[in-house]
This record gives sequence, structure tokens and C-alpha cells, in this order.
Amino acid sequence: MSAQASSSQPSGFGSSGALSHVYIQHPPLRCKISGARNIFYDDGTKQLIVPTSDQVFCWKTTPFNPNVTPSSDQIGEGPVLSIRFSLDLKLLAVQRSHHEVQIQNRESGDTFSFKCRSESERILGFFWTDSPTCDIVFVKTSGLELFSCSSGIRSLQLVETKKLNVSWYVYTHESRLVLLATGMQCKNLTGYQISSVGIVRLPRFDMAMAKSEANSKPVLAAEDIYIVTVYGRIYCLQLDKIAMQLYCYRFYRDAVIQQGSLPVYSTKIAVSVVDNVLLVHQVDAKVVIIYDIFADSQVPVSAPLPLLVRGFSRANAAASQLMGQNVEGLEGKDSNHGETVIYADEWVFLVPDLICDIANGVLWKIHLDLEAISSSSSEVQTVLEFLQRRKLEANKAKQLCLAMARTIILERRPVPMVARAIDVLVNCFSLSIKTGKHHMGSKVERSSTSGSNVNSAIDESISQADTSEKSPKQESGSGTHDKSIVKSSSVTSESEDNVSFAKNRGKSINVDLSSSEQNGGNLVGTDVSGDEAQPSVVRPQAPGSGSTALRTDEQQERLVTSAAISPDNLCSFVFAPVEEEMAGDPSYLVAIIVEFLRSANLERLKVPLNIYVLMIQLLARNENYAELGLFIMNKIIEPSKEVAMQLLASGRHNFQTRKLGLDMLRELALHHDYVLLLVQDGYYLEALRFARKTKVNTVQPSLFLEAAYASNDSQHLAAVLRFFSDFIPRFKSTTDHQTYSRYLAEMNTMVTA
Amino acid sequence: MGISAASSASEAMKLCIFDLRRGQHEGQELDKILYFFPADLPFPTQLSVIGLSEGLITFTRIFSPEAPCEVIEAEMHSHVFYEAERDIWMVMVVEKSESETIWRTAALRSVLKEVHSLFVMFHGSIRALLDREPSGGLTRTHLYYFIMDYLSDFLSGKKLHLPNFRDSLKERGMVQMLTIGREAALEVQSLVRVLESCAGCKQSYSLIMFQDLLVSTTLSPDDLINLFTYTVMRLTPNALSAGASSWSYLRKGSTTSNASASLSTSSNSVLDRYYNSRDTSPVGVRSYQVVRPLQHEKWSKGKDGFLVTDIWGTEVGSLSPSSPTIWLKQTEERMYLCAFQHKSLTIILLIPVTSVHNGEQGLSVVKQQILENASPKIFKVEEKLSRGWGGENAYHVSGYRYLLVDGDKYISRASPPGKVTTLTKDSLVAMSKLREEVDLEKSRAKCDGSDCEKDQEICIRAKNGAWVISRLTRGKELYMVLEKANETLLYASEAVEKFSDRYCSGVFSL
Repeated sequence: MSAQASSSQPSGFGSSGALSHVYIQHPPLRCKISGARNIFYDDGTKQLIVPTSDQVFCWKTTPFNPNVTPSSDQIGEGPVLSIRFSLDLKLLAVQRSHHEVQIQNRESGDTFSFKCRSESERILGFFWTDSPTCDIVFVKTSGLELFSCSSGIRSLQLVETKKLNVSWYVYTHESRLVLLATGMQCKNLTGYQISSVGIVRLPRFDMAMAKSEANSKPVLAAEDIYIVTVYGRIYCLQLDKIAMQLYCYRFYRDAVIQQGSLPVYSTKIAVSVVDNVLLVHQVDAKVVIIYDIFADSQVPVSAPLPLLVRGFSRANAAASQLMGQNVEGLEGKDSNHGETVIYADEWVFLVPDLICDIANGVLWKIHLDLEAISSSSSEVQTVLEFLQRRKLEANKAKQLCLAMARTIILERRPVPMVARAIDVLVNCFSLSIKTGKHHMGSKVERSSTSGSNVNSAIDESISQADTSEKSPKQESGSGTHDKSIVKSSSVTSESEDNVSFAKNRGKSINVDLSSSEQNGGNLVGTDVSGDEAQPSVVRPQAPGSGSTALRTDEQQERLVTSAAISPDNLCSFVFAPVEEEMAGDPSYLVAIIVEFLRSANLERLKVPLNIYVLMIQLLARNENYAELGLFIMNKIIEPSKEVAMQLLASGRHNFQTRKLGLDMLRELALHHDYVLLLVQDGYYLEALRFARKTKVNTVQPSLFLEAAYASNDSQHLAAVLRFFSDFIPRFKSTTDHQTYSRYLAEMNTMVTA
Repeated sequence: MGISAASSASEAMKLCIFDLRRGQHEGQELDKILYFFPADLPFPTQLSVIGLSEGLITFTRIFSPEAPCEVIEAEMHSHVFYEAERDIWMVMVVEKSESETIWRTAALRSVLKEVHSLFVMFHGSIRALLDREPSGGLTRTHLYYFIMDYLSDFLSGKKLHLPNFRDSLKERGMVQMLTIGREAALEVQSLVRVLESCAGCKQSYSLIMFQDLLVSTTLSPDDLINLFTYTVMRLTPNALSAGASSWSYLRKGSTTSNASASLSTSSNSVLDRYYNSRDTSPVGVRSYQVVRPLQHEKWSKGKDGFLVTDIWGTEVGSLSPSSPTIWLKQTEERMYLCAFQHKSLTIILLIPVTSVHNGEQGLSVVKQQILENASPKIFKVEEKLSRGWGGENAYHVSGYRYLLVDGDKYISRASPPGKVTTLTKDSLVAMSKLREEVDLEKSRAKCDGSDCEKDQEICIRAKNGAWVISRLTRGKELYMVLEKANETLLYASEAVEKFSDRYCSGVFSL
């Protein structure tokens, strides 16, 4: 599939109209510095670090802003194998060789070195942690060494050592998990999670590997291992190039369990995570396959489609089309045109959702096109579930969900189908309430860009109890390792010094910039956001277009942190608008609302009163008074004053319905209204009796008197007069008394006459 | 056997239906008789009953053209009149000889009303039948079988047991509902919508019953009552297991098809008499294809859960039985009746005949749809209702024997029959009398033409010291017997108040 799939799409590059579910947004962050030797990514602090001979430049990648200006630090001359800032950004650690790491205080400029004691062991890498017991962890061929380090003290204190013969390691800050490979085949893995709650040792486990021949012993390579953090769970993906499978292991506190595998269609793959969605880049085939492994489902969310660049000007896009008739052509050397080559060899995939093009010195952020994904599937239920789980563009997901709900109702899809869709929305909302996530606009803790603060997303998601500890932290970035793999095709310095491993998941990336120095510096991002058809609701700017859009993204984040849709929202943005648009027989909509109520009831959610009012209107419009009565009797329409009033209004043409309203008023103990309406309906004696019993004295006597007079029954009028005379002090001196006494006298004379 | 059986059963009761527009010329008097029970009574006797009734109707019409004659109370008999259709009258004559024959006119009339409504539901109006076939043979045949089958339900041994004072805490022509919680109600409604979608057309209706109680319906009240009555008589699980004891007022326990046969054997000869005597129908009755929807033991539950019957004959060219059809009063439309049963749950779906293409074939598609789409919900609802079902004494309120009638919604609820039988005869007779009074009061109010429904309250202390109480308020009625109660009126009144607050959301609390 690879060749065809990729070559069939070349013209789509750069044009926003092309079909894709995953895209990178133009403009990228440019991190080209003259004299730069490598590009590193520090996933602990989420910075892109470019060292030159005596300086390091850092770009913050969260929130992702292409125009961010780098900060710079002076460092001493010398080779840089890897480089990381301490989590509080006060210290800078630079690995100078396999035996030495320099730590520098950024304020004072003081430096001190950490060196291996024996020549036999080498430092494979290191990382900073937020563990209470240690600050920095060195991974050496002899095992882990955990040190604490206070900035004032100019040395490290050894806290703990874990002895182990390590071939290579993988670490991501997101998961706080370090996997150490041991054994001949490197397939025996030991894991430690070093997080703020302490150190957890995972059970040792073996990776399965298919053999190409009977006696061969394949060696597991570090770049075939990916630590993936989604929904607060930690998975390890292992690429088996022989079997063409991506094995999926899930880490529990006390177990590592293989949970199926994903097929791969390319010998070279890369893995990203955007908003808890797993993207498996089939690099050779130049397509992305999207998985949402929330429910352990190994079914792709949608068909494989290429990754696209969005935000190019049309001219550029056209130029690119002219240039390259095939992919190879495009991939060539036309980077001075500003064209971006998708899945170029120089691409390095950073954990979780960044791509660094080391050749051009640019950093891309991967985005999901929720709209495209949602419109690509006809399985409404699945799509809604997918959208509801999205946190990054929660508001967009929410709007899409609302739009879908409206559409399926307007299209009069079968009730059971719509019911399932509504179930999804209601259940998700209920869940978000239970986990306390649904506070509109309350918290802003999440930044839109990378997954660094996925915390919120995570603990709400159903992470199982046993993983709860791990869940709160995610950062990816697989470890560095001594065996470095040179990613860029251009530079192939196998020398140990120059190694760069640019695994996408690699936390620090040493990318050689030497080869392709030039990139199109003149790409101006034009806001071509062809795909934003935002349904309704005030959203000034559609997300996903250029830098401005990014900011809007954040604003949205601030407003909506979850795609959950409250019953109120459902009513005002789905049922109410739909009711206006739907002509004819309202029974379909009633059926939908019943399903909604059922769903809400199962989740014990309160629904807004106006849904009941709407329902009464619909039933009355269709003259389904018998059903309406049943709904009231069974309390499907819960009693309230609003409902009672609507019943009274709808009961203008149906006496029984009006009575339902009256009864409801009485049952709600709205005695004043009840008495008033009884009088209005001519039941003044009953009203009087009821008023006496419930001590309602707020209804004007004249109303009763008027009603009694209108009934033309002198006895009744006399009775009412007598009632007020007896029970209201000084009633006899009021004008009412005089007036109606006179009327009564007249009536009596007429009778006698 | 038939004749003798019929005559012994008939002594106490005569029932006739006649058309004032027919047989108005001398010598053609027989033509006006559409139905007479007992059928084997000599024509002169039949004609004398009808002649008296006709005379009274004509006479009273002079004073009250719209509502002529309701009842004649003679020394030995009561004649209860009911104008079923314009100029088509039903008259029931009952004896007042023995102690059990204390009648309430309205209760007897509701029997006439019920049998007529049911007849119309299955066969269309009598007038329409007469218009279709002016000789009257078709009408007579249909009426004969229908009413015979209907009356067989009242047979107990060889006697007809018409509603008497012992049934004074029952009300015919009402539905009894199952009280369900909101959650169950929502499940039920959800099921109703699925059923509607299965039917595939908008004008379909559904009726859901649990045991003999209504759970939900989309029918209008008129049609609902007929269909509800029929369902309880013939379709619910209790009805299907004929002879099983029943706690519904609609069925006596010991009904068997045998009893029905005892009423209607020799029917052909009976029916032929009209024609033989007049010599107008050379073809004879046997040529009419008679559908007898009330025939006993004709319904059974099929393997797929749908109820089947061969009452409506068989499909031309096939062995499978034709689907039942009924007429809806409100829309005057002919509907297929499709009944499904799962344990205690009976579901009836009415689908317009015009909307089903290919007749039976189209219907089987609908059935398939129900099985595929609705059955999970049906199971769920059945389970939920069964769990909440309190048994046949669920609505018993200890200390009270009551009847609650909601005239607006056509819903009634009463103490279970088993509990009512514990009342003494004195109490029941007193209640019967009280209800007679209330009926009179109500019909008077109706004659006055005032829309206002007056509140009314009567408390009587019967000879045996029981309190017999009625309370009417705005379309709702409560009847109550309190035996072994305190003797003060205050006590009785408080008892009602308490009942009203607890079980009627305070409707009767004045």
C-alpha cells in the first residue's frame, strides 16, 4: 500500500483542502542558529535546545508558538552529547562525554562535574526528576544512580543505586518511566518509575520478537521501543520488523500485559500522541494511522491518510505541484521554495506530538483535524465517543458533537441510533461531573500545546486504580542511549561523540544540522483554514490556522476544558434549534427527548425545565393529550411551576390538560395560583373552601364575589359575602361588601318580583 | 341441549337490539329485530318486549327528544335502555325477584355499552352493516355470534351473572393502570418509540399491558377502553390460560368455551327462523363468513412470542391464519392488530391496513422488525415491571374498600375483588344504592347542561354500622366502604382525608 498511497496524494501537500486527519500547521517554529551543531529536545522542561560552540539557545515549545524568541545561556566549550535543564530551570546539565556530565548553575554560572568512577562504565544518559528523594538520575552501563542536588551545594549526593547491566534505555518524562534493556538480545526489560510519589519498580518482562530464521537471535533496538502515554495509562509499543507488527504492552503497577498488536505497513514507523490519540506514522508509506486505544480497541479511528501541511499560501502550493510530479521529486532539494517535505529522512519525532526537521531547523507541532475525522465515519456513536474524549480542542470537539447531534435528528435517523448517540453524550457528561472536570472556565491549568500537563486529562479518564500513580505524569521522550542512531541521512558520523539519536521519542535529540542548512526562511503563514466550518456559537476564530489561531485555541481552553455537554447545553443547542427547524410531525422529536430523559435519568442528571415545557408543547401541538396525561402521571415530565403553567396554557383547547396543570399547582403547594385559577374557571366555592383550608388570603375577595355574581346564583353570592364578612375583619366596611350586597339585594328582588 | 340450556339461563334476563327505522309496516315487525336473547323465545314474546320498549321511546321522545327513555322500573322487572346508535336501541330486561337481583341501572347499561363498542371495534357500526346489506342477515349473524360469545363470559354454571350490587365497587368501561416509577416509565416510553418505528408509519398505535393492567398507550381513550377490555378478556396471559383464576372484574373464573356453546348451539336454526318465517332469504345464514373475535380459546402464543388466532380465517391460498383487524373509533381507520407477549407483558401494535403493503407479508416484516429491534427493550421492561409488581393485592389499602374513578382519563382503581368479597351484603347494597343516587345526580347535572363539575360528598351510616362514602370532585370519584369503623362522622371524614392525601395526591381533600 505504501507506494501507491503516497504517490496518489502528492498534489495535496500544502493545500488545506486536501484530505487528511492529521496535519502540521504552517508556520513552524524555526530554530536555526548559525554555528549550531545539534538540536536537542529536553522533554522534562519541554524545550528545544540548540548548542553552539559556547552558547545554548532554548525555545519553549509549550505553549507552541512559532514566534517565540529563544533564551540563551553561556556554556563552556566542548562536545555536547546531551543536555537537559533541571525541572526548576535553575541548573543546566550537559553531558560532555561518556564519563562526564557538567552541571551549571544558570544564575551564578558555577559549574561542577560528575564523572564516572571507573573507566569500565559509561554514562548512557541522564534525566532530572521531581522525585522527593532524588533530583537527577544517571543511567550508566552498570545501572541507575540516583542523586540529589541542591543548587547551593556544588556536588551531588548519591541517594540510591540500582545495579544492572544496561545495554540501552528509554525514558520519557511524561511517563516518568525509564526502561532498561538487558541481556544479549536486549529484550529483557526492567522498568522504574521515578515520580513525585516515589520510585516504583516494575516487574521485569521480556519482549516477544519474531525470528527471521530459525537460529537467528534478533537484537531489540532502542528505537523500536516507544513509551506512549494516553489517558493516563502507560503503554510500551514495540516494533517487530519481521512480523510487521507493533506490539502493545500496558504497564500496570504490578504487571506488564501485552494487549494486542497493531499492524504496520512500513519498516520505518514513528509514534506520536496528540490529545491521547495514538498516531502511528507509516513513514515509508507516508500515511498516518490513528488509534484511540481508550477501550483497548485495536481498530483504527479512520482510514490511513497522509500527514499534511496546512497554512501554505496557494502560490507555494501551486509551485510545489509544478515542481514535483512524484514524491521523490518533492522530497528532493526544493526546500528553498519553502516546500515542506513530508516524512523527510531528517524528520525526528519528539514525544509526544512534535516533529523536528533537523535538516531545516524547524519544529512542527502535530494537530488532529477533529472535523475531518468526525466526518470520515458514519458511526455516529463511535465518533461522538472519540470526540468526547478530546481535551486539547475541547470546545471544538464539543461544537462538533452538538452539530452531529443536531444533524442526526434533523435527518431523522432511526430513534435507536439517535438514542445511542445521546447516551454517549449524557454518559460522558455524567462522567465528567463525577470526576469533577466540568467547570466551565474555572481552570486554565492546561496549556494547549503539548501533552505536558495532561494531568487533568488523565486523572479524569478512567485510569485504573493501579495505574493511578503513574497516570498523573506524562511526558514522553524516550531515553537516550549510548548507541546512538543517526537519524539524518546527510550526516553519518558514527563517532560516539557526534551521536544523535533522534528517535521521535528521544528526549534529547542530537540532530545534525550540517547537511541541510538552508530552509525556506520566507514562509509566511497565511491563514488558510479551509476546514473550519464551526457550527454555531461564538467562536471568533477557528482554531488550527496559524499563530493567531493558536491563541484562540488557548482562549477556548480557558472556557471549555472538557468536551462534555451538559443537559442544559443539549437542550439549548440541540433540541431547541432542532425543534425550530423541524416541521411536521413532532412525535419523532418527542421520541428523541424521551430517550434523552431516559439517559439522563439513568445517570441521575437533572434536566432543564424547558425541555419539559418543549415536550408539552410538542405533544399538545400534535393533540396527543392522552399521552401527555400519561407523561404527567408517570412523572416523566417532572412537576414544576413552569410545567404547570405550560399545561395550563396548552390546556386552553383541552380541558383535561388544563386540569393536569391545576392539579400540579395544588400538589406543588402553590396555593395562591391554584386558588386564583380555580376562581377563574368558575369554581369559586371550591376555591374558597381551599383558600380557607390552606390559609391563602392573598386573593382579592372581589374576584370570588365577581365570580359568584356572574354565576347568577343569589344563594352562592350570599354565601361568599357571608364568608368574607365572617373571616376578614372590617370586610363589611369595604366597597366590595357594599357593592355586592347591593347586587345581592337586586337579585333577590328580581326573584321575588 | 342448547335450547334448554339457553332458556334456563335466560329466565332472568332478556336482551334485544332493534332498529326503529325498520319494520314500520304491519306484517314486517320481525324485520326490526336485530338480536334477541334468549333466541328461542317465541316471536310474539320477542315482539311484545320490543313493542313496549318502542312505545316508551316514542312516547318519552315527545318530552325529551335527545335523551328519551333510560329505564323502566316495573314491579318484577327493570328495563334498561341504551341507544347504541341513532335509532338502534338495546334493551335489557332483568328480573328483580330474588335477593341477589339488586341492580344498579348504570352498571347494566355499561354492559350494553361495552358489548356495542366492542362490536363496533370488530365489525364497524351496526348501521353501516345494515346499509351494506339491507336484508339484515349479515348484521343478525354477526350480532348473534358476537353477543353470545360476549355473554358467555357472564355465565357461571348455567346462570348469567350480570353486574349486581356485589359489583358496586367496580366500574366497567375504565382501564386499570399499573403504577410505575419514573425510571420504568422512561424505559416503557423508550420501548413505545421503538415499537412505533418498527411499525414504520406514523399512524400506528401501541398498547402495553402488564398482567391485566395498562402500562402505556398512545391510543385515544375511546379506542383504548375497547382494546383494553378485549385484551383483558382474551389476550393477556391470564386470559390465554383460560380457566385460571382471575382477579379482574372483566372475567369470571369458570368461563369455558363449553359455556359459550351452551348459549349458542342451534344457532343456525335460530337465525334461520327470521328468514324462514319471512321467506326472503333463500341462501340462508350459512353463507355468511362469520368472524367471532370473542370466541374462547382461539388465541394462543406462537413460538416467536406473537399471539396467533384463526378467528379471522386463513389467508387465501395459504395455510397461515389471516391477521386480525379492528376499526378505530377516533380515526375510523381499519388497523391490523399485532400482539406480542413476553411473560406478563402483552404488547399490542395497531398498524393501519392501508399502510401495510402486501398484507400479511408486510406484516411479517413488521413482526421481524419487532423481534430484532424491540425485543431487548421488551425483556428489560418486563423484568423491570416484574420486579416492581406487588401482586394482585398490590393496590389493597388495609381497612378500606374503595373504588377510585378518574372520569377524565377513564382510569379506575379499586380494592382487589378478593378483598371486596369480605364486605357484608348490607354494606354492598348500601353502596349500590348510594351509587345509584350519585349516578342520578350526575345525569341531572348533565341535563342541566352546566360545564361545571360540582364537588359532592355523601357519607351514609349503613344499617350494619358501616360507613358508605362517596366523594366527587372535578371529574374524579371516590367510593368507599369502611366496616368496623368508629361511629363518628368525623372519623369517617378523616379516614377519607387520609386516603386522599396518601393515595390520590390530595384530590379529595376538601
